[in-house]
Parts: sequence; structure tokens; C-alpha cells
Amino acid sequence: MIVCPNCAHVNPAGALTCEACFSPLPQILHTNCPSCGAEVQPGARFCGSCGFDLQQESQPVQVSTEAATPEPSEEVPEPVATPLPDDETDLRSRAPARTQLQQISACLIHVQTETRIELPTSVQVIHIGKPNNLIPPDIDVSGFPDSDIVSRVHGDIRYEGDAFYFEDTGSSNGTYINNVPLPPGNRHRLRAGDRIALGKGDKVSFVFKMG
Amino acid sequence: MRAEITYRLSDPYVDAAQKNSQRQLALTIAAVSQGNEGRVPLNLCLILDRSGSMGGEPLDNVRQAACRLVDALDCRDRLSVIAFDHRPTVVVPNQTVERPESIKEQIQGLRAAGGTCIDEGLRLGLEEWAKGKHQTIGQVFLLTDGENEHGSNERCLKFAQLAAEYNVTLHTLGFGDAWNQDVLEKIADAGGGTMVHIQYPDQAAEEFQWLLRRVQSVGLTDAHLELQMAPNARLAEFKPIAQVAPDTIELVTQTEGNRVRARLGDLMVGVERAVLVNFYIDATSSRVLPGSTPDRQVVGTVQVTYTDPQRPGATLASEGLAVEIQAIAEHRPQMDEEVQGRVLALAKYRQTQLAEAKLQQGDSAGAATLLQTAAKTALQMGDTNAATVLQSSATRLQTGTVLSDAERKQTRIASKTVLRSE
Ligand SMILES: [Zn+2]
Ligand SMILES: [Zn+2]
Repeated sequence: MIVCPNCAHVNPAGALTCEACFSPLPQILHTNCPSCGAEVQPGARFCGSCGFDLQQESQPVQVSTEAATPEPSEEVPEPVATPLPDDETDLRSRAPARTQLQQISACLIHVQTETRIELPTSVQVIHIGKPNNLIPPDIDVSGFPDSDIVSRVHGDIRYEGDAFYFEDTGSSNGTYINNVPLPPGNRHRLRAGDRIALGKGDKVSFVFKMG
Repeated sequence: MRAEITYRLSDPYVDAAQKNSQRQLALTIAAVSQGNEGRVPLNLCLILDRSGSMGGEPLDNVRQAACRLVDALDCRDRLSVIAFDHRPTVVVPNQTVERPESIKEQIQGLRAAGGTCIDEGLRLGLEEWAKGKHQTIGQVFLLTDGENEHGSNERCLKFAQLAAEYNVTLHTLGFGDAWNQDVLEKIADAGGGTMVHIQYPDQAAEEFQWLLRRVQSVGLTDAHLELQMAPNARLAEFKPIAQVAPDTIELVTQTEGNRVRARLGDLMVGVERAVLVNFYIDATSSRVLPGSTPDRQVVGTVQVTYTDPQRPGATLASEGLAVEIQAIAEHRPQMDEEVQGRVLALAKYRQTQLAEAKLQQGDSAGAATLLQTAAKTALQMGDTNAATVLQSSATRLQTGTVLSDAERKQTRIASKTVLRSE
């Protein structure tokens, strides 16, 4: 299933051109996280399962003009030599090497798995959600437990003038900041220690950390 | 006369290892003359709106245009003229054009008055047309300047479908800017004809002449396209078959399994009809049509059935054409430019239709975006006239204004056909 970015028509698998408006369709092949092997979308900055910095690897993004099923034999990047740390909190020690010095650094800690996800300050908008063809998530949470309550296009973190803001971009189950519902379209300026829960029941939650 | 079909694929190659490759098949169909065949007489019926709003310059111009049409007809051609307001009358009974002066006199007697009932005009027109339908090429020109305020659009559409069954082609001419483009487009599409916009009264004669030349090039009639897809091919799920030239029309199809039939109507000499078929093929399947080899697969077979007005009573058929695709290893896309142009023609139409649907829902920002996409598509296919019209409509919506009646007509026509340059 491929949703047309131009007219939102739902096309069957294999479509190169939208059946309704004949616009070319994005051809996205999934790649796999070099660290844990989970499926991630090309262009995603972090693995939703293990928080691995995918950009650090500068792995090739496979965008094909032919609809195809991925051929693992040649498409999967070389496995990373470093073994997986036993303790997931050790991921901290593998924080990506920055090419630029940054005055601000911020991250989200996934509460349920204690996974740390660095927030880049090089871009203005970080999309949070699950794989989809309209707005591919930068932070893909599909690998976390209970991610079924999170919408494919759930929310954005915006970085503006040294501050981070969270906004819900129209999720089905809502977003709660420090247990208070965040109305869709409203922005919340994030402060260190804020707890962001995607969907009800505090099942997929993050703590925002700065500095 | 005989019908000739040719085909091209959006990419003549397919990856032999691919289970699901999308391709477009462009079919072009035309009538081809076989030496010194005389022209078959026309049986032309003009159905003219003479409601009160046509008074003055509009009706003066329509009368003149109709008289010039009489002059351009051959003495063997047949003509009838119907005028309608909320009621229809026969102005010129169905006859051969042997006494053009007396016919023109009758046309000059037309006066404007009354309301508008298009379906009544159509009904009487078809009745009058039928009086001379044997061994002629049946054509109706329906001209109106307004909404069908005293009639039923549903009934109009029924008559248009009936016209197709009677094998008479129904063209619509929208006069001025107050007519309904949805109704006239539906009538023309169902009637196998063309929709023409006469924006200014003094363009009437020119548009009548253009349409007359078009119908004079008709060689074969009542053509139907018959397409049988291979077991390893399947048609797209959504509107898989559309005509893309000379005008874009969503064809009404009858589908039975992998067999599809669509009415094309008249076939012309020198004016191709092009039909685009959107499909998927499994190149790895062994369920192929006879005649396939592992590297040359038959995607489907195509045939056109038709009638030749010079050989009444017989349904004729073109030779069956096998559409072949080459299955190769390590395929790299090789777009066929001609088919790409056909795809863009349909994209332009569909994108504009989607924009109009958004406009109806009150989403003018969404409509503007889609119109802009359609303008880009027009530009890509080299249709700069349409690109200008579509872009100016998009800009109009972006600045928060609504489209005028004239702009809505221009937008529709620009999306449906390649605009004739002045
Ligand atoms: Zn589309
Ligand atoms: Zn991972």
C-alpha cells in the first residue's frame, strides 16, 4: 500500500505512478538497523528499536524507481563490527561523534526501555511517529513496546532559538505532557525533566533532557 | 476504410525477476482510407438554445454561424435544425442540403424568448435526426448558454446514452460563461463527442467550422475497444482505462474477468484516438498467453470492432494485436517519451478534477496546490496554453479569490484537451 503524497489515494503495492492522479509515487525500500536489525525507514535518523544513530553510519538510502521487494543479499549494509552492549544504558557511551561543536544538546530517554535518543539541533523539525509514506518519521517508535497506540504521524519536536517545542500533529490517541493532555496544534516548550507520553496510559513515554 | 491500432508501452522492458511491475499501455486507433473512397454523407442535427438570454448579439452570431455551416455542407449531406427554449420546435426538418438558401432563410427566422429545457431540445433533435439515419454519419451539435432550469440533467444524460446506442455522436457547445460545464461534459463524454467553449459570440462561426471539419473526417463509427489481458497481468484497481486524445474522457467499461470492452465511438481519418491502459504484470509467472516466450511475453490482445457507414449492417473488426513486453535481467527503467506524454495528459486531467473536488468541499488551498501541480504537468507535456490557464487559476485561489464562471470553463477545457493556439 502506497499513499499518494499528491492526492492521498491509496495505491496497491507495486504502483510506481498513482492510479488516481498519475503523479510519480515515492518508492521506499526499508533498510535495516545495522545495530539491532530492526526495519527502519530510509532517512530516519534514529532506530526506533535501539536508538542507534543511523546517520552516523551514513548508510546508503535505497530509493528505487522500480517497485521491488528488498533483496537482503545485496541491500543490507555491512553489520557493524562493535558488538551490542549488554546493558542498553551503555548506548550512552556510543553517542555519535559530532562533526560540529554544539552548544546545546538534548535527548529523549524512552522511559520503558531506558533508550536514549539524541535530538539533532541541525534541523528545525523532528517528526515522531511510525513508518508511513506521507511524513516519514525521524524518530521511529514502531520498535518500542505498545507502539500501537502511537499514530504514524504523531507529533513534532521543533527546535527554534535554542528552545525545543513539542506539538501534536493530529495523533489519534493524543499526547500528554506531565500527564496533562496537549491539545492538537498547541505547542509546549520543553523543559528538562518534562515527561512526554504518546497516546493514553503513559505506555510510550519519554523524558526530555538538556545539556 | 479500415481501423488501425498501434501500441506503445511506458517501458518496453520489464525485469524478468519482478512479480509486480506497473506499466501503461498507450493504444492509438484511427480510420485509414484504402484508396479512392468517397465521403459518406453527414446527417447533422443542430440543436440551438434560443432562450431569452440568447437575445441580441449571441443569437445573431449563432444564426450566422449556422448559415455558414449550411454553406460548407455538401448537397448530399442531410441537415435538421431544432430550436429550444423551455419547449423545442423544428426549425429545419431533416432534409438533404439541396436548397441551401431556403434552409438559411428558415434559420434567419429564429427569435430569442423563453426559458431553457435542454432535454426537450435533445429529445426532439434525436427524433428529427433519426428520419435520415441510413447510410449517413450521424452527428448532433447541441448549443446552450445556460443552466437547464426547466429540464432535468439526468434526462439529458439518458438521451446522450441513447444517442450512443443509436450510433449518433453528440457534441456540446457552451456559449458564453453561464452554462454548466459538468452537465455539458457528461453529455459529450456519454455521446462520444467533443465539448467546445464559445466564450465570445463572434467565435461561434469559427468553432462551428472547426467541429464540422472534425466530423467530416469521421470514417468509421460505433467503434469499441476489446482488450483481453494475459493471466499474469491485471488492470489497475482505479479507473484503469481512459481516452487521452483528442480529448481526455474517463471511458465507461464493461469488465468480465480479464476482458474489457469500452465504446470509442467515431474513428477519424487523420485524428487519432489514444487510449491509456494502466496495468501490472508478473514477469515471473508461467501463466502466460499463447505466443509468449520467456523473454517476450504477451501482456494482452487488443481488437477494435466498428461499423463502416458504406457497408451498413455489418459489424467489422480489426485484426487482433498482441501487446508484447520484453522480460530482461537487471532491468533499468527506459521510459517511452510518447507514452509519457499520454500519461501526462491524463495526469493533467485527473489533477484538475481532484482540484475541483477540493474546491467543492471548500478547500481552496488544497485546490490551488493541485491546480499548480496540474499546471506543472501541462508544462511538462509541452502544453503551455493549458499551463498558463491552470497556473492563473491556481494563483487566483491562492490570493483568496474565487474562480469566475469563465475561469472555471477555461480550466475544465484546458485540462481535457490540448488547447488550440489562436
Ligand atoms: Zn495521486
Ligand atoms: Zn536498532
